[in-house]
Amino acid sequence: MSLVIAAQEVRKKFGEAEALRGVTLSVPKGECVGLLGPNGAGKSTLIGILYGFVQRTSGELQVFGLDPRTQSQAIKRRVGVVPQENALDDALTVGENMMLFARFVGLSKPRSLARVAELLAYMNLDHKKDALIHELSGGMKRRLAFVRALLADPECLILDEPTTGLDPAVRHLLWDKVAELRRAQKTILVSTHYMHEAEALCDRVVVMNHGGIVANDTPRALIRTHAPGFVGIFTATPALRARLEAAGSLAVTARGETLLARAATLDELVRLQNEIGVEAQQLRPANLEDVFLKITGEELGENA
Amino acid sequence: MREFLYLSWQIVRRNWLVYSKDFWANISPTFTEPGFLLLALGAGLGPFVERVHGHSYLQFLAPGVAVSSAMFTAFFETSYGFYVRLTFEAIFKAMLTTPIGAREVVAGELMWVFLKGAMMTAGVSLVLACFGLFSFVAWLPVVPLIGGLVALPCGAIGLIASGTVRNINQFQAVYAFIISPLYFFSGIFFPVDAAPGWFQVFVNISPLYHGARLAQMAFWNEFHVVPALGHLAVLLGYAVVLIAVANRLVQRKLVL
Repeated sequence: MSLVIAAQEVRKKFGEAEALRGVTLSVPKGECVGLLGPNGAGKSTLIGILYGFVQRTSGELQVFGLDPRTQSQAIKRRVGVVPQENALDDALTVGENMMLFARFVGLSKPRSLARVAELLAYMNLDHKKDALIHELSGGMKRRLAFVRALLADPECLILDEPTTGLDPAVRHLLWDKVAELRRAQKTILVSTHYMHEAEALCDRVVVMNHGGIVANDTPRALIRTHAPGFVGIFTATPALRARLEAAGSLAVTARGETLLARAATLDELVRLQNEIGVEAQQLRPANLEDVFLKITGEELGENA
Repeated sequence: MREFLYLSWQIVRRNWLVYSKDFWANISPTFTEPGFLLLALGAGLGPFVERVHGHSYLQFLAPGVAVSSAMFTAFFETSYGFYVRLTFEAIFKAMLTTPIGAREVVAGELMWVFLKGAMMTAGVSLVLACFGLFSFVAWLPVVPLIGGLVALPCGAIGLIASGTVRNINQFQAVYAFIISPLYFFSGIFFPVDAAPGWFQVFVNISPLYHGARLAQMAFWNEFHVVPALGHLAVLLGYAVVLIAVANRLVQRKLVL
């Protein structure tokens, strides 16, 4: 199986601060990998290192068998990047931004014209071709930054929080496009805070925290290992925790104004609910968010 | 190499595209300032000044003013202009995801500054030629080249400043303590050979002095091969050294 990304013990220091503390990661061709982690976990640093925007301090790294430290240009010919900031050229129109980038990635002028028209239509931006960037909504800007990365039809896509801060409609649109790219056998590395999308879309999820990888598996396996079963969400009231525990919940966790009680099956959870005589706000299968909060230690008071 | 030039050239295309959108607004200070300067000093002060090296004061002033426009356009482009592109507009964050790398950015910005300097000098010189300030018009095509060669070291100074300053206000100090003296003490307002020795040494430091001397030769049709080659060598030497430093500093800003 050929690897698109092969990282071994990659470290990055900014002065004294260690942003990456030995990241080892393999991404085979055609895989869609989700990169999760709290803000400041090192996701963007890792992403920047992959295409030579950030220089690693130590460790081995190959992208398409090339070293980003010395061969970033060759890597960037095969990788499309959606950076965290849109970084669109405000002085130019939508069409001009795209045409300029088409030339950056080496498309000829006639090819650029065709490709830009095609991609703007693909993102429903063709009617905005002559609009200036500041005339676009946040969602439109993000869509533009997204298709900009597709100009050269790259084999691999690196998406740094492509949907952060967008309304649900744009978010779904963009995730649909990611799904399409995945079906087209592209290798995808996507960092996100949207667990639900990562769970639905990624073959594998890598969780980072404090500059290191703390979990790396398929979403299902992660849930099975770290938070199996079902979760009942209860409005937190005094003594509820003790009652849930007494009734036999596998684990009770505080999250904001709520208490989360875990049980192996849905039936068990319903029984628990009946026994304490309090109706849950919601009963649901455990999901990636539960895993995330548990293994990044954001959730305190775990007693399982 | 072809690839390097192609990618660097794309930066020029981008900058030109943005510049040409507000062409008249962008180009107006380049023409008004030398125009007002020549009017105030040449026509206003000139009558009180004796002939300088056989030229009227206006004739003496003209070549230096023409190349100084290259110096200013280059410095402002690579200081304020580049810094805004780098920090506030963050356009390189996207550009550097394409095959363009930091060295192409530096090369492209300098190619742009060279052409812009050449364009400004050509424009100003053309206007001056219309007022009969050119002795031998066949030399006119040489002037933009001189402008470009002045723009390179001055553009590199701007890039070095961009790679060094901690915020945009600090360019004021660079302008006040570096660009201003290089301009005022470049021998474009007074003949250097009449100044005291220590002062001449100081003037010789300014890249603008060497550019102004070359421009004077062209404007006055007074070419002397050896001094001309000397000034050319100084300009190129400045360009090589300053560009090397600028390259290092800007790379450090672009690649984390």
